[in-house]
Amino acid sequence: MSLALGLGRERAVTVAGYAIGLQVPRVALRPATPEEAAEALRAAAADRLAVVLWGGGTRLRRASPARGYDVALDLGALDRVLEYEPEDLTVTAQCGVTLATLAATLGARGQELPLESPRANDATLGGTLAWNGSGPRRRRFGAPVDRILGARFALSDGTLARAGGKVVKNVAGHPVHRLLCGSRGGLAAIVEASLKLLPAPETRVALVYGLKDWEVADAARWKPLPRLEPSFVTVLGATAARALPAAARVEAPFVAAIGIEEERRWGAEQERAIVAVLGAPTARVEGDAVVALAQALADAEDQDGARLTLTSAHLTPAALAPFVERADAARLVLHAPAGRLHWFPADENATTLALDLHQAGFRVIDTRGPLTFQAPIPPEVAITPLRARIKDGMDPAGILSGAR
Amino acid sequence: MNPVRLDLAPLRALLGDDGVLDSRAARFTYEADALVIEKHPPDAIVLPRSSDEVAAIVRWARAHGVPITARGAGTGLAGGATPEHGGLVLSLNRMDRVLRVDSERMFAWVQPGVVNLDLSRQLAEHDLYYAPDPASQQVSTVGGNVATNAGGPHCLKYGVTFNHVLGVVAVLENGDVVLLGGEAPDSPHFDLASALIGSEGTLAIVTEICVRLLPKPQAVKTMLFDFETIEQSCRAVSAAIAAGIVPAAMEIMDRHTVGLVEAWLGIGLPLDAGAVLLIEVDGPAVSLEAQVERITRLAENEGARSVRVARDEAERAAIWKGRKSAFGAYGRAASGFYIMDGVVPRTRLAEALAGVGRLCAERGLESGNVFHAGDGNLHPHVLFDADDPTQQAAALEASHEILRMCIRMGGSISGEHGVGIEKRPMMRELFAPEDLAVMERLRAAFDPERRLNPGKILPGDGDGGGAPAQLGGMHPGAEGEGAWI
Repeated sequence: MSLALGLGRERAVTVAGYAIGLQVPRVALRPATPEEAAEALRAAAADRLAVVLWGGGTRLRRASPARGYDVALDLGALDRVLEYEPEDLTVTAQCGVTLATLAATLGARGQELPLESPRANDATLGGTLAWNGSGPRRRRFGAPVDRILGARFALSDGTLARAGGKVVKNVAGHPVHRLLCGSRGGLAAIVEASLKLLPAPETRVALVYGLKDWEVADAARWKPLPRLEPSFVTVLGATAARALPAAARVEAPFVAAIGIEEERRWGAEQERAIVAVLGAPTARVEGDAVVALAQALADAEDQDGARLTLTSAHLTPAALAPFVERADAARLVLHAPAGRLHWFPADENATTLALDLHQAGFRVIDTRGPLTFQAPIPPEVAITPLRARIKDGMDPAGILSGAR
Repeated sequence: MNPVRLDLAPLRALLGDDGVLDSRAARFTYEADALVIEKHPPDAIVLPRSSDEVAAIVRWARAHGVPITARGAGTGLAGGATPEHGGLVLSLNRMDRVLRVDSERMFAWVQPGVVNLDLSRQLAEHDLYYAPDPASQQVSTVGGNVATNAGGPHCLKYGVTFNHVLGVVAVLENGDVVLLGGEAPDSPHFDLASALIGSEGTLAIVTEICVRLLPKPQAVKTMLFDFETIEQSCRAVSAAIAAGIVPAAMEIMDRHTVGLVEAWLGIGLPLDAGAVLLIEVDGPAVSLEAQVERITRLAENEGARSVRVARDEAERAAIWKGRKSAFGAYGRAASGFYIMDGVVPRTRLAEALAGVGRLCAERGLESGNVFHAGDGNLHPHVLFDADDPTQQAAALEASHEILRMCIRMGGSISGEHGVGIEKRPMMRELFAPEDLAVMERLRAAFDPERRLNPGKILPGDGDGGGAPAQLGGMHPGAEGEGAWI
């Protein structure tokens, strides 16, 4: 194969930076335009080379590719904000722009794109969309799939195509752009996306509570919380909580951080209501410190070692009741209103744990690291062929190695 | 397809005699949705009561090579539920139960035939509601809303149907009953439910829906502003958004529409206004007074001549009645009119409206505008004499040009009504061939033999080769609140 896969040699970059676990690709390319990205895919398909799409590498460095790894296609150079019209509350940007850059651009106009990822300085828009990644504010502000309005993407046959559009309301055509969210680079390479924005809230406050295990498990304590619609309620085990910013650091078996991001008066009322329910917080932060705290809560999923990620319909911390006495609960992270749990098992044989979590309504949606366990959930037999047909339709050469 | 050749006995055995209709009258009843210009009677209508019955029908249809068009209440304005290729219309109206409400975890499982407004009524005892509120909500079904990814006046703040569906049970083209998504918000892999929502029944038939519920807003404030010009009203909308306010709804009616509505209902709308702007804010009571003050100040800065704030629910209902009666008012004013569903970036609204006026005036036609201003979703109405073929042709042409203008402005040809038959030819103008090819591949992955609502959305066989003859919904003589925008 040509090392540059149809691109100039200047697009080839050193492979060392693209290791996934112990796997290193044969070639790493950093195209400068969407057209070059599409051309590289076409050339890779011609040679049947397995391609992993790279953004900031925030998730891939700890992942393992599903099928082979010949080419790292780094889309980080596609890093421009293409259109930003604050009065439309929309932005169109290339996939390689980082979440931090987007936040700064939008923040200067009092707006935000509530996408969340660990390591927002490195995490790219494309990567966050492709993983449909989310964090503590998931329930209140939605996942990437809720915010994407349209996308331009490169297919492995070298085609550049679009779906959706740039306007906030649009039902014309099949929403391929939404299907790409969560496809982890296994269907197409998102090169550009349009997203719906929000005005930044007037007030940001976070209340931080140190909790005993029985307090976490006390369903009655938490029951009123979902209807107050806090922007986040994240519970961390003691070990995970040590990574929080100093202003929010609390020594306790568990720490709950509750966010209020609202219009000023309602924010104050909401805070009073939460204090009435939960008592005075151990720590309180406000303003930009809440943004930093929310980022730290998103970062908390990025701990070393094996990890199970689970989803559930639970809305409160009481969902952890069966698990609070486990020693390895010290590293857990639960974004409660989104029902999203990250668990870092002490034992690599996590079958019993996964079964117990399944019994408690949590469903494994992702695993990472050297875990061995029997999935407690039957595979989605009926839709596996459908997924395979979609994959074949989008990536007929089967070269896009959707990383897991 | 000739119904005589279809042996419907197995379906009657499955569904009972009242579950299979094939009389001439029934077939004509189901020959179209609210796009009455396109009529294609089905060979038979089936009315299942469960996912398993839907699956059995799908398997039967597969074995006999019969197309199936799923249908909710038939309020769609784009022909999405019109059985263009005959076969079966699968009406989901008998699957109309709310199956389960989990008020603590704030979701509900419902059957697709549940009427949108009935769902929120049933949720009231839990102090919860289902946010998507298409104007048709008193009649349209949640399943139909899922098929079109319906919006509504309040989707500015709350998002569209897609944002409120957690999962679906669906019957695939081979008769498999599958769960896509579920009560939990996330899925492993890519989310197949996201492909189904808005697919107009072309990918699978949705038989159960898990919807996300929200706590009912504590309070609502509804304001009505009047402006000398429509440009001013559009600027007020942009000013509110730029100031960081996202009202629950922002709706504009132009002078023409105000005149027709007022002549009909006499609800005190200002006849000399160039436009009236309805803004509704909802949420915690403590926040609303401040929002009303800020919005009023911004609107006055843009030239608002007066503001009326509804003092009670009755006054609020009266303000909304004016907005929701626009369609009926047009119906009284002309024997025919076309309604469009274009979208432009919010900042180009005033320019787009001027374009609508110009494109109609050039053809000697009257037009009116009532629209979801906060979303940039236009619903221009082109009025014509239904008995005058020249006027009708001119109206079709104007409709086509208006949607082309939306595309040129970076917008879309449908904000909430779907593509169906009506806008299918324009898909070639909105999307490039390679874009449509990817959508075709997605469609083929779900329904390789194109038996589920064949011919809809994507241009292909039977789309009239891109001729504008199918453009524009014609609703001669519509009255009252009988159709919705």
